[in-house]
Amino acid sequence: MTVTTFKLNLGPQHPSTHGVLRLILELEGEKILSCEPDVGYLHRGMEKMAEKMTCVQYLPTVDRIDYLAGFFYSELFIRNIEKGLHIEHSKKTKAIKVLLLELNRIASHLLWIGAFLMDLGATSPFFYAFREREMILRYFEKLTGQRMMYNYFTFGGVRRDIDYLEDVEDIIKILPSKLKDYERIITKNPIFISRTQGKGILDIKTAKNYAITGVNLRASGVNYDLRSFDELYRDIEFNPVIRNEGDSLSRYLARVEEISESIKIISQLLDYLKKAEPLKQNLINPLTMRLPEGEYYSEIEAPRGLASCYIKSTGDEKLYRLKWRTGSYYSVNLLRKLLVGNYLNDAIAIAGSLDIILPEVDK
Amino acid sequence: MNYNDFKTYFADAEVTEDKVIIKDRLHDTIEFLATKMPFDMLKEITAVDSGNGETEIIYHMYSDDGNEDLFVSTTVREEAETITDIFKSAIADENEIYDLFGVKFNGNENLKRIYMPEDWEGFPLRKDYVETDERLAWNNDSHNV
Repeated sequence: MTVTTFKLNLGPQHPSTHGVLRLILELEGEKILSCEPDVGYLHRGMEKMAEKMTCVQYLPTVDRIDYLAGFFYSELFIRNIEKGLHIEHSKKTKAIKVLLLELNRIASHLLWIGAFLMDLGATSPFFYAFREREMILRYFEKLTGQRMMYNYFTFGGVRRDIDYLEDVEDIIKILPSKLKDYERIITKNPIFISRTQGKGILDIKTAKNYAITGVNLRASGVNYDLRSFDELYRDIEFNPVIRNEGDSLSRYLARVEEISESIKIISQLLDYLKKAEPLKQNLINPLTMRLPEGEYYSEIEAPRGLASCYIKSTGDEKLYRLKWRTGSYYSVNLLRKLLVGNYLNDAIAIAGSLDIILPEVDK
Repeated sequence: MNYNDFKTYFADAEVTEDKVIIKDRLHDTIEFLATKMPFDMLKEITAVDSGNGETEIIYHMYSDDGNEDLFVSTTVREEAETITDIFKSAIADENEIYDLFGVKFNGNENLKRIYMPEDWEGFPLRKDYVETDERLAWNNDSHNV
């Protein structure tokens, strides 16, 4: 009997690749022998654009690196620029930033829950997750005027004072009961468990070798949450979510637990923000702003892993070089290893569990 | 962190405030840091065009034992040593640098154009890059309004 292998193109138009990821799989029957990711369908030249524009022109585009977590990338870019300008924020500005970042994290994780369950063939959780996410997006729209590309943080602070806090109160009042619903319909569902438990196991050594960060790394048992070292989160109590199994199920559970942790962080800030004085800040005039010569580096814990920004400036109004590090880029690279030996029908479930988003990969 | 071991092995390395600058033996250095010292993660590789056809490549190593970051910097011309045998994450980084800066990593067989089309000429993040490709609307007369 001769064994024949063949190549299968998964994507780039496959609905469960969340955009335009193309995987070239080598199969023997339904077993995956090798996987070669092909990225770049969504490349917009974010790094090249940074060299062609001034900082204030570039600022609105950074939200588009990850359209589900826009606040994180604008905070990261601004943080790096402010590092060179030695700017200190008031307590209230910091609280506003953390509140919005955590709401954004919840929205991002909720969308992932819906999309992941859709990958596994369950349609209804998608609508439940979007219903909850909608509350957060409505609030963002009220506050910033935009549902996804906020452009709300700016050099030296935020564009306007925080408002409509009663909406946030409603959100964190409603969400915990919805998470309980998810537990009933998803976490205790035997079909869901059998498709995720023990599938796509990622051990610590592989995870570190492939530079996996964020929830995916913590679900493999490494206690590395950048928020623990982040200046912005200094006075805030929270527990990084660590799980040891490293399979698809643990990555799912870790994200759901992270939503609860984010709710806790938000409720700590709400009391303070409601009583706080009106916002006073010294915004920088972006037209005369010049980043002093030197190299700058900043990091942030984004929903899809560690994101970092490297800037080299020559003191000119345009930056000499800007480099983004995004979590998903490394998760895609991990698929080379993680899918091998699994069956084709699990490939979608495993790739989905890593929370890959393509604009972040292609930049 | 005790850098004494490192200094005895790599006496010619220049240690500045925020990075270690090495001239050669890149592969050995990274291997030493990964196996003999606790830097078991390579967070990213950054390339910067430093002019005169030279590219500075910065390796960002991380150790979660003590939460330490270490930047190792080296300057190359057109070719560099691959470290994909030590860190698999470098497959992605080296490919990106090849695509945008044109640096070839000897020993990395996966190098190909990822963001740019396969037949694209030039490497867009190099400072001497000139956009002349007719597929760009502003270089093509028929697209001018």
